[in-house]
Amino acid sequence: MNPVHSLLCGGLQGYILVALLLFVIGLFTVLNRRSALMQFMGVELMLNSANVALLAFARFRGGDVQGTVFYLFIIAVAACEAAVGLALVVGLFRHRQTTDTDRADALKQ
Amino acid sequence: MLKLAWLIPILPLLGCAFNGLLGRKAGKAAVTVVALGVMLGSLALAGLAFFAAKAAPGGRLDLFYFDWVAVGHLKVPFGLVIDPLSSVMALVITGIGTLIHLYSVGYMWEEEGYARYFCYLNLFVFFMLLLVLGSSLPLLFVGWEGVGLCSYLLIGYYFETDFAPAAGLKAFLFNRVGDLGMTMGMLALFAAFGTLTVSEILVQAGHLAPEAAVGVLTFATLMMFVGATGKSAQIPLFLWLPDAMAGPTPVSALIHAATMVTSGIYLICRLAPVFVLTPITLTTVAWVGGATALFAATIGLFQRDIKKVLAYSTVSQLGYMFLGLGTAGFAAGFLHLFTHAWFKALLFLGAGSVIHGMHHQQDLFKMGGLKAKMPITFITMLIATLCIMGFPGTSGFFSKDEILYLTYLKSPVLYVMGLAGAACTAFYMWRLMGLAFWGTPRDHHAYDHCHESPATMTIALSVLAVGALLAGLLGIPKVWGGTFAIEGWLEPALTYGRAGAEPAAEAGSAGLAWGLMALSTTVAIASGLTGFLIYRKGTASEEAFALKFPGLYRVLANKYYLDEGVEAFLLAPVRWVSNLLWKFFDVIIIDGVGLNLPGAVTRVAGDLTARAQTGRVRNYALGMAAGAVLLLWIFLK
Amino acid sequence: MFLTFALITLLGALALTFQRNLVVAGLCLVVTFLGVAGLFLLLANPVAAALQMIVYSGAIVVLVLFVIMLLNSHQEETRRHNHLLQRGLAVLAALALAAGAVKVVLASPVLKALDRTPMPGPMDLNQLGLALFSDHMVAFEVAGLLLLAAMIGAVALVKRDL
Repeated sequence: MNPVHSLLCGGLQGYILVALLLFVIGLFTVLNRRSALMQFMGVELMLNSANVALLAFARFRGGDVQGTVFYLFIIAVAACEAAVGLALVVGLFRHRQTTDTDRADALKQ
Repeated sequence: MLKLAWLIPILPLLGCAFNGLLGRKAGKAAVTVVALGVMLGSLALAGLAFFAAKAAPGGRLDLFYFDWVAVGHLKVPFGLVIDPLSSVMALVITGIGTLIHLYSVGYMWEEEGYARYFCYLNLFVFFMLLLVLGSSLPLLFVGWEGVGLCSYLLIGYYFETDFAPAAGLKAFLFNRVGDLGMTMGMLALFAAFGTLTVSEILVQAGHLAPEAAVGVLTFATLMMFVGATGKSAQIPLFLWLPDAMAGPTPVSALIHAATMVTSGIYLICRLAPVFVLTPITLTTVAWVGGATALFAATIGLFQRDIKKVLAYSTVSQLGYMFLGLGTAGFAAGFLHLFTHAWFKALLFLGAGSVIHGMHHQQDLFKMGGLKAKMPITFITMLIATLCIMGFPGTSGFFSKDEILYLTYLKSPVLYVMGLAGAACTAFYMWRLMGLAFWGTPRDHHAYDHCHESPATMTIALSVLAVGALLAGLLGIPKVWGGTFAIEGWLEPALTYGRAGAEPAAEAGSAGLAWGLMALSTTVAIASGLTGFLIYRKGTASEEAFALKFPGLYRVLANKYYLDEGVEAFLLAPVRWVSNLLWKFFDVIIIDGVGLNLPGAVTRVAGDLTARAQTGRVRNYALGMAAGAVLLLWIFLK
Repeated sequence: MFLTFALITLLGALALTFQRNLVVAGLCLVVTFLGVAGLFLLLANPVAAALQMIVYSGAIVVLVLFVIMLLNSHQEETRRHNHLLQRGLAVLAALALAAGAVKVVLASPVLKALDRTPMPGPMDLNQLGLALFSDHMVAFEVAGLLLLAAMIGAVALVKRDL
């Protein structure tokens, strides 16, 4: 198929491209923003891009159920990560009165 | 039975070990018994060896013990050679050595390091015997270095003073300079002959035509002579001997009169067949010896320390021995070594007796009138003085005159130098005697407490005096009806390995011999008498002379300022260059560029690299992202 | 349809990145999740779409907004240094990755091959449950343990005194 056609009409390449671009945006958010909560949101974006890619491949391999099962586990892990990560942010705020991760540079040389 | 000859050097070594390790605990009596015992044992064995060698075929015993070095082409055996030359030297070392050990018992009894003294002295005898008895040059060199070491140890015996250790070091360093020459000589001889065993060298040398391989041999013998110069205190390496008087007097007698300093002469006699092939070296030896004989004698004229006079006298007399060797009169030079050993040891021991009696007063200007208080010392020193000035009939007369006769045949200029040296010798010896034993005492306190030395010391003096008188019997010349026995006696050693006919003997007439003898006797007696007459009245004349010719007096009394010259022209520039090298090369280049620069660079680089450790998570995340980009780029290329 | 949902997702994400106000950013996150859920629907997976909305936008975003309100950090603080190097390199890295991604995706033969698979039937919760509780039982239990650990950990981290 014509790659552009595939892109525009929901072919596999399109989904994968969306996933990758979403990942890049998520990474950029993590690198660019200083607030811990913004960085967390970037991480969620990256996770979701992985989800998209995973489920796209599952569909294009004949509706494999394992893709969805794995997706389930990713959600579980993401939830755990959210809980613990936000707890960390609260803890950081308690110590430094700020969520700016640039202020958390005690390991600086 | 003959193989027991190895005990000759080993007995003193055992004595050294005992005295060194157990001496202090064992006590002075035990140390004395052991030290003297090993010496007597060694003497007895040396005597037996002497007779055994005489009876053996060829007049020599070659004893081989084991292969010491066997590397490639170099084979050095560990062996002893007992031939006329080495057995006489061994007897001198052990004989005079035993007498000096006996003397030291009395002299050193009050000293703190009694056991240490005898340990070093026995060690010295061991090394000296190795030197003379060794069958190969490396073994000789072991002894050579060893006696240098013992000289250092014994000169620096009073190590708590400032002066003695420095003097010991000075002696050792001057010896080392000579040792460099000795080593190069040995290497050259090895290159020429392919062996370092003396007998093999001599046999090969004997078969060489006189003109063959002269270049290498001349170099070798010259270098050997440089080594001899260091050990035997000739110009220019004699400056250590006067300073060596800082050691105890018996040490000066044994080491710096009778034995160690004669190593150089012994070496040349040992290698006589090789030296005969190199007339250039022999001429050099003669001229250096003659110059030293005169030069040192002039310095001895106005010294105030009694031991310093004798030290310069030793340097001068060693010069005479080299003068004799340089005229190819090896037997004559060796005879002078033999006679000198007796009377110089006697002179030193007598001086020690005087110093001991005057409670360590060494300045001649403070002595006087001692002949009444110390009769035995006086008489024995008188005998020795007659010997050294060459009074007719004494041993010194025969040996010195033979040398002067041979010198005249070689070069009249050298003869004049030798004669002038003899005149100075007589003068300063009678100056010494006059100032010490005649006249009114100048230090009344010391004079009142002065007494004759104990028996251990006077016995040694007496035996040496008899020996000094009789030693001349070996060298009664033909013109007197004798046979110049020493020459025939030494011939097997001096001409070992010679294949062809003997070289023609020097031409000379009986009339010339008598004439020269008369001349030298007259000169010696005249100057000796002058010295005696001037100085038996005291020091007034010398002080007047010093006022009239202050420059000359000061130059002679301060040994031509040679030590100062060495310091200024040799040592100070070396120190300056070293300082420069230190300040510039060591500090700036090696420390700065070599050590500190890499350190600084590392530190700076580290500091710069540490800037990447910001402690911020996003910076680290960026690093990971950048790495991922790089990897992807590599994989997708 | 695909294009719509794709654009919703990507534009929502971009909006999130450049949004100053954190609360609005959280809402942009919800929009993004909405787009993703739509994409899941197009991938014949209604289960996943539902779960996406319930868990992600319903739980996680709520949690984030909760914390934002708690810590009162609606705005990001003013920066102290310029961080030009960091920002510049971040832009570069992102662009490079994006370009690389496009290139790879468009050129990949594997993706082209897989593209021809016909649309399967929609994902069944029944089917999912069967697979989960038979083939992946152990992983399921471990995930449960993980959730427990995370809970305990979160509580432990914020307690003032244990």
